[in-house]
Amino acid sequence: MKLFLQILLIVTSVLLIVAVLLHRGRGGGLSSLFGGGMQSSLAGSSVAEKNLDRITLGLGAVWVIAIIGLGLLLKI
Amino acid sequence: MLSAFRSALATPDLRKKILFTLMIVAVYRLGAVTPAPGVSYPNVQACQAEIDQQGIYGLLNLFSGGALLQLSVFATGIMPYITASIIVQLLTVVIPRFEELKKEGQAGQGKLTQYTRYLTIALAILQATGVVALADRGALFGDCSQPVLPDNSVYSLAIIVLTMTAGTAVMMWMGELITERGVGNGMSVLIFLNIASRIPVEGANILNNEGGMIFAFVCVLGLAIIASVIFVEQGQRRIPVQYAKRMVGRRMYGGTSTYLPIKVNQAGVIPVIFASSLLYLPDLLGRLIGDPNEASAWQRFLQTYLVDQSSWVHILLYFALIIFFTYFYITITFNVDDRAEEMKKFGGFIPGIRPGRPTAEYLGFVLNRITFPGSIYLGIVAILPNFFLSVTQQGANQNFPFGGTAVLIMVGVGLDTVKQIESQLMQRNYEGFLR
Repeated sequence: MKLFLQILLIVTSVLLIVAVLLHRGRGGGLSSLFGGGMQSSLAGSSVAEKNLDRITLGLGAVWVIAIIGLGLLLKI
Repeated sequence: MLSAFRSALATPDLRKKILFTLMIVAVYRLGAVTPAPGVSYPNVQACQAEIDQQGIYGLLNLFSGGALLQLSVFATGIMPYITASIIVQLLTVVIPRFEELKKEGQAGQGKLTQYTRYLTIALAILQATGVVALADRGALFGDCSQPVLPDNSVYSLAIIVLTMTAGTAVMMWMGELITERGVGNGMSVLIFLNIASRIPVEGANILNNEGGMIFAFVCVLGLAIIASVIFVEQGQRRIPVQYAKRMVGRRMYGGTSTYLPIKVNQAGVIPVIFASSLLYLPDLLGRLIGDPNEASAWQRFLQTYLVDQSSWVHILLYFALIIFFTYFYITITFNVDDRAEEMKKFGGFIPGIRPGRPTAEYLGFVLNRITFPGSIYLGIVAILPNFFLSVTQQGANQNFPFGGTAVLIMVGVGLDTVKQIESQLMQRNYEGFLR
């Protein structure tokens, strides 16, 4: 069980990173980070982006479950 | 004041945005207190109680809202993203290709953002490894006896690193979701949150250690500092710009007079972040390389002059670095030649000054002069907490939430978010009038 959860965590972590990186970045970096420009993103998200959202959300859920499960199992 | 809140919540799409932001915030805070698998939660708590709060991790812990020392899932937090954006921003000056991309507009900017995201993950791996290595060697909490990571096989350590890296990725995504569907800039909202979440703790610290009188004094002082920070943040010099009239077909264009706003603090808080990141580097290196038990001569030298936040060398150096970085950052972001060129292209001019090079020179002159008080103000606000060291003994350092970097960031982000909500509200009201 522990091994399974650990492997699950590894796999979902990697997939999660990949999924997030596949998203199109929003917000123009540092300039808008601390009170920079006020450009709002008007372009709506595409279908691909929406599906990616769903996939990321699902992966995130599994990831959280794996973390909590491991935490409860190890109990240290 | 209250009616503004009510109307903000009464507008359906704005309400949806605000609620969405709050939801993400809740999820984020939950993650910030969830320990990463393999971290012994009771031991971490014990160690935290043992050490007198944050030495070097001041800034790191500030930006992670205490998640770093909890060794939680979001321990690396937002710092990799900040570092990555600073690096990419600086590289636009050095690498010609980046500069090209920056000038390309939307598409180029998107590409730069994408590079920032890749770099963030790389830095997150690096930082998570660093944190886990420090925790494994017991150096994270100074001289804490309990093992924070009971199972220190490479396999289980690697899992923690991977989890933290994924945590940073998730945070980045949440920030982008807020930017896209919520209010404000997601990343700044998350940073704001991290800093704000420390206020109750620090406040309670002061109240318990020093008693009610000093607590009240600090509160009043904090409010005064916040008010003055807002005052300076909002200050701007308006350079009048006149646009020439021109005929295009049968239409008349231009002829308007506007102004070019130059803020007193054009650089925002970035110089402060640069300076403090630079100042904590030597100590971080010393900790990673050196032996924690016996300090060598240069390590002791660093400790007394650079790391100790109440030493005069540290304060002066910090101040000087902030002034330097303010000018540095403004020359990067506000290119006077480009501005003058742009103005000339659209038929604009500053009354009494010829377009082209004289305009650029004039802009540079005004910018230099207005930045001088701006940079001094930044420096003073940033070093203020260093003078409070005697008031609150342990709790006060850069994390002190009533002065310094924390207030600068909170006020900056707060103003920005409120402005954005206001503009959305305005949009709505305008629609309402027309119907």
